[in-house]
Amino acid sequence: MTASRSQRVVIWILVGLALVVLSAPTVVVLGASLTSGNIITFPPDGLSLKWYAKLAQAADLRDAFLRSLWVASICTAVALPVGTLAGIALAKFRLRFENALQIYLLLPFTIPLIGSGIGLMLVFGEWRVLGQLWPVGIACAAINLPFMIWAVSASAGALNDDLELAAASCGAGRVQTFVHVTLPAVLPGVITGSLLMFILALNEFLVSLLLTDARIVTLPVQIYNSIRSIITPDLAAVSVVFIACAAVAIAVLDRVVGLDIFLKSK
Amino acid sequence: MDGLEWAVDRLWPRTLSRLTPWLMVLPAILLVGLLVLGLIQIADASLRTLDRSTFLMSDSWSDANYARALSDPVYAKILWRSLSGAVIVTAITLFFAFPYAYLMVRTPRAWLRKLLLIALFLPFFIGQVVRAYGWLIILGNQGIVNDMLGLVGVAPLRLLYNYPAVVFGLVQYMLPFAVLMLAPALTAIPEETEAAAGSLGANWGRTLVHVLLPMARPGLVGAGLVVMTLTLTDFAMPAILGGGSQDFIANAIYDQFFRTSDQGLGSALALMLVGLGSLIVGAIFMLFGAGTLAMGGRSK
Repeated sequence: MTASRSQRVVIWILVGLALVVLSAPTVVVLGASLTSGNIITFPPDGLSLKWYAKLAQAADLRDAFLRSLWVASICTAVALPVGTLAGIALAKFRLRFENALQIYLLLPFTIPLIGSGIGLMLVFGEWRVLGQLWPVGIACAAINLPFMIWAVSASAGALNDDLELAAASCGAGRVQTFVHVTLPAVLPGVITGSLLMFILALNEFLVSLLLTDARIVTLPVQIYNSIRSIITPDLAAVSVVFIACAAVAIAVLDRVVGLDIFLKSK
Repeated sequence: MDGLEWAVDRLWPRTLSRLTPWLMVLPAILLVGLLVLGLIQIADASLRTLDRSTFLMSDSWSDANYARALSDPVYAKILWRSLSGAVIVTAITLFFAFPYAYLMVRTPRAWLRKLLLIALFLPFFIGQVVRAYGWLIILGNQGIVNDMLGLVGVAPLRLLYNYPAVVFGLVQYMLPFAVLMLAPALTAIPEETEAAAGSLGANWGRTLVHVLLPMARPGLVGAGLVVMTLTLTDFAMPAILGGGSQDFIANAIYDQFFRTSDQGLGSALALMLVGLGSLIVGAIFMLFGAGTLAMGGRSK
């Protein structure tokens, strides 16, 4: 980078501020969860893991976490095949009405989350399936689907069509070509997309809030309900579970595709 | 495998190959169709009024809910708060996201790039509620900031449950989105262009204004669009950091459904929000193109 001193100073001040603001909540939640005191403070009143031990007994928080995992699994199981097929189709074929299709498939992003959530609540209510967890998983798959399609179509766009033609001319059938040539080529995109779907569903708050009732709240909703009444350190401890999940997801993402992929120009 | 090929040839003969892509996008169309069904349900509910004596929705349609939503000054105030919030948050977020993305893309140091990426993804993957919870610990009455102010003898400030707190929380929430949308656009600008501007005598301020910003426009449009619509329609930050006194539109809609139980009015507000969001997206698409939002390989 050939930058003048003044440019460097300005950039570093702005980026430094951004870094502090981005990281502060994570650092503070981590720190607060380690307190040995009974109230939330930072820096913590002496270090201890007692709130993590308490967590093991807190059945409501644990159950809520398990429900979140279940919702995230359903969401990923639904979005993975649906998004992969659509992503490949969009990247490899010229479809008629492609522009209209693009706009349609971006609806999950253009319809505000509160609109999607309320709409699904009414639809699922009409179908009498509310009060269960699987509709929440399906809802999460629907609202985040473009992420999955993006990830896969980016990989599929990089696949050379000639490879598939070569496979076919060597006598491979359509299924064989798809399984042995197309799928391996889009695998990084599939993994990236699935990871995003899983993590976003694990954290999904508003749609969970709308689609769950008091018996089946997911963890983000449980935390939301608790911070409105009383803030205790066990909430910080359970929040660290989210931080750990995020850290694992980032590590996997970095190993599989490399975080740098997000910097590539299209 | 041969059996499978045979089955596929039987079920989906090659003469139908032309339709294969459509078969592949069909599940996605159906899944997104759920949201469309939801909008239809909302539209239907928005035309029915609540009978206050029986708490049932009317059988006939009327535009009473829309008339109420448009005439009630409470909603005008909430709309104004959300819209101005969206503009302010977008401006601040882009202001910080641009140098962040620029440094991340341009730095020759791999470790710095990785650090910046991790600092971005960690909060992105943690979710709004946990982040808002972190801010409660930092900004609360007995929070870190007030503790530190106390050390230098300043009386505790009320940092939470006001408009700036909500804006602040939203900027933090939106930063990763904005940077991730800006970065590819900046990568696409060759470094030589800046060097050329510099060798022609432009200082970095002029290079920024006349070269970088215009060339990064698709990214800026995409990022601004995403941040603006997400802010306009956000629920969690106003609810948690605003403490009920700083409601945005989404909070008003939620209250209609779960506090007042007036589905009709809530639906009317929701549909108007959907319309407003689409209007913003549409207007920006028309003015600047789809930016970096388009899906699928444009490279074919």
